[in-house]
Amino acid sequence: MSTSNASAASAAPKAPRNGGRRPKLTLPVILLIIAGGLALFSLVRVISGANDLTSVGQVSGALQLAVPIGLAGLGGLWAERAGVINIGLEGMMILGTWFGAWAGFQWGPWVGVLMGIAGGALGGLLHAVITITFNVNHIVSGVAVNILALGATRYLSNFTFAEEPGGSSKQSPRIDAIDRITIPGLSDWLADLQDKHWFFVSDLAGVLGGLVTNLSLLTVVALLLIPVTYWALWHTGFGLRLRSCGENPVAAESLGVNVYKYKYIAVIISGGLAGLGGAFLAIVSTGIYQEGQTGGRGYIGLAAMIFGNWMPGGMALGAGLFGFTDSLKLRGGAENVHAMLLLIAILLVVAAAW
Amino acid sequence: MRRITRFATVGIASAALALSATACGKTSSDAASDSGEIKAAIAYDIGGRGDQSFNDAAYAGLSKAEKELDVKGTEAEPSDGEADADKVQRLTSLARAGNNPVIGVGFAYAPAIEKVAPKFPDTTFGLIDDSSVQGDNIANLVFNEEEGSYLAGVAAAKVSKSKTVGFIGGVETPLIKKFQAGFEQGVKDTDSSVKVLSQYLTQPPNFDGFVKPDLGKAAAQGQLDKGADVIYAAAGLAGSGAIEAASKADKWAIGVDSDQYNQKGLAAYKDNILTSVTKDVSGAVFNLIKSVKDGDPQSSEIRYGLDKSGVGLAESNPAYTKMTEVTEAVAAAKQNIIDGKIVVKTTP
Repeated sequence: MSTSNASAASAAPKAPRNGGRRPKLTLPVILLIIAGGLALFSLVRVISGANDLTSVGQVSGALQLAVPIGLAGLGGLWAERAGVINIGLEGMMILGTWFGAWAGFQWGPWVGVLMGIAGGALGGLLHAVITITFNVNHIVSGVAVNILALGATRYLSNFTFAEEPGGSSKQSPRIDAIDRITIPGLSDWLADLQDKHWFFVSDLAGVLGGLVTNLSLLTVVALLLIPVTYWALWHTGFGLRLRSCGENPVAAESLGVNVYKYKYIAVIISGGLAGLGGAFLAIVSTGIYQEGQTGGRGYIGLAAMIFGNWMPGGMALGAGLFGFTDSLKLRGGAENVHAMLLLIAILLVVAAAW
Repeated sequence: MRRITRFATVGIASAALALSATACGKTSSDAASDSGEIKAAIAYDIGGRGDQSFNDAAYAGLSKAEKELDVKGTEAEPSDGEADADKVQRLTSLARAGNNPVIGVGFAYAPAIEKVAPKFPDTTFGLIDDSSVQGDNIANLVFNEEEGSYLAGVAAAKVSKSKTVGFIGGVETPLIKKFQAGFEQGVKDTDSSVKVLSQYLTQPPNFDGFVKPDLGKAAAQGQLDKGADVIYAAAGLAGSGAIEAASKADKWAIGVDSDQYNQKGLAAYKDNILTSVTKDVSGAVFNLIKSVKDGDPQSSEIRYGLDKSGVGLAESNPAYTKMTEVTEAVAAAKQNIIDGKIVVKTTP
């Protein structure tokens, strides 16, 4: 699929002409980089025999671990683009897990998802009131939200989950699962292809198979939110105003933009996305709420966003990287890690030779 | 105006902190005024009461003592990521309030008990799962987990059709390594052609591996993809993720600590829970309280093995008890361990 684009890749800008502008990444170049990376992975897999490296299970496991991180990162992106640092993502995620599970076990998983978003948005609203209206330091407010969310959910669990059968003051009863989709013929065919362990073809099949096998509908929603965010922030008037509030609020204000309103909207959406990440964790990843379940994923999401240079695509890549390495370690342990060391060694040799 | 908003903010922030702080450190101490009454206290491990496993078992022992021995019980919950100093303070205040015995649930209390015990020579301190700290007034309540795990290994090897079984450990600590060692030895002794895949979720000091079920699920999925058809997870709460994954794939799971077949939180998956390696924490707690009440407090190492039914395999799944070949092999192995014919290793 990428070979047809190879010729177009050479058309990418060669050298920065006017004062060191970065070469722009066009779609063909990105596809070529992905294909090259996959080929390298394939090579490592064939040499080391760590066939789990690009298996269907590996990729779908990585996806499942990456989604909460990605949603938190997306939340961070919305807030930071509007000029508010949101270190309270972790707390909003905790609210998302709690509210998602609380509504989820009583009224079904989708209601849980909505309540999770609402819970996170509530945390976002609090952060917005403190930072935007009262001008408090963003970090201080964020940390306060984190502590408050942890304490509040712990307190609330004593009245709700503790009295339900199957629940306790630390965890909720089980939540019904969200439907999972598997594309019937295609996934089986891709899994068979992957099992043959051919060079490149099997790896491609494994990656694609992981993306179409046993996929929770909520995962699909989460993945769609990335292009939706990109479209909303960079291709609408609303997005332009929102970003202008982040980059130069005074200029935006002088042009008649209601800066407060946009900042409020951005931080509430940010909380809602983190809450969705939390709800995903409770409903899809585990099926129960459990105290301390988020385990710092909000901070990792923030890191993924910074890694991705405050852009949705880069953020998704960062979240994917975190999810993939997590999954790699959990599924295979030493064998997979050794294969990765080989990959790093090859990359170092290539870099040195260049 | 500006000043008012500043004040309001500070007010809100400090109220928030105060609220969460009170929610964290809940200590329900109903101190009795009568000095002749026996008061017992337990301090929980990470997870606290409500973990449907280890801490709840300790609580069951305490509440049994409250009912049968007319003892006044006190509980103390830990907070997340606390330091040893917090544990020292907790144990000191429990001992100072006149509780005897004071029981620390979990090996994490070892350093704290080492510091506090000498200061209260008349109080008996119970320490579960650790025997590294010794003293005249310290009772180390330890279990031969490796023996129970050996039996689980025997059952797994007998049941496995794919000749591949999986072990998932929560956190790579000496305690969990005992589970791994026993399980691997049990499998190999029963059928040397069966392959054991072993995987730990996290390494200390990261204890996420005991609390995050999604990690257990991912690890179990990896082992299932490699052909394992029996998965033994010694990972606390994270084990429920492994049980879920095994159940979805219609393979066997082996539970740990308490009889997970009967746990309400896992009811949806119980048909696939072959058996559980049980650990009689509640009995150990009860015995210690009873010994103090009877005026002959236990001290030094109290070991609970297969011989005292301190560890064992649960037999509540009817599908398991129907497999007579498996249960006979397990019973034979159990007898051999009790007779000393089989010595189970404690390190893999």
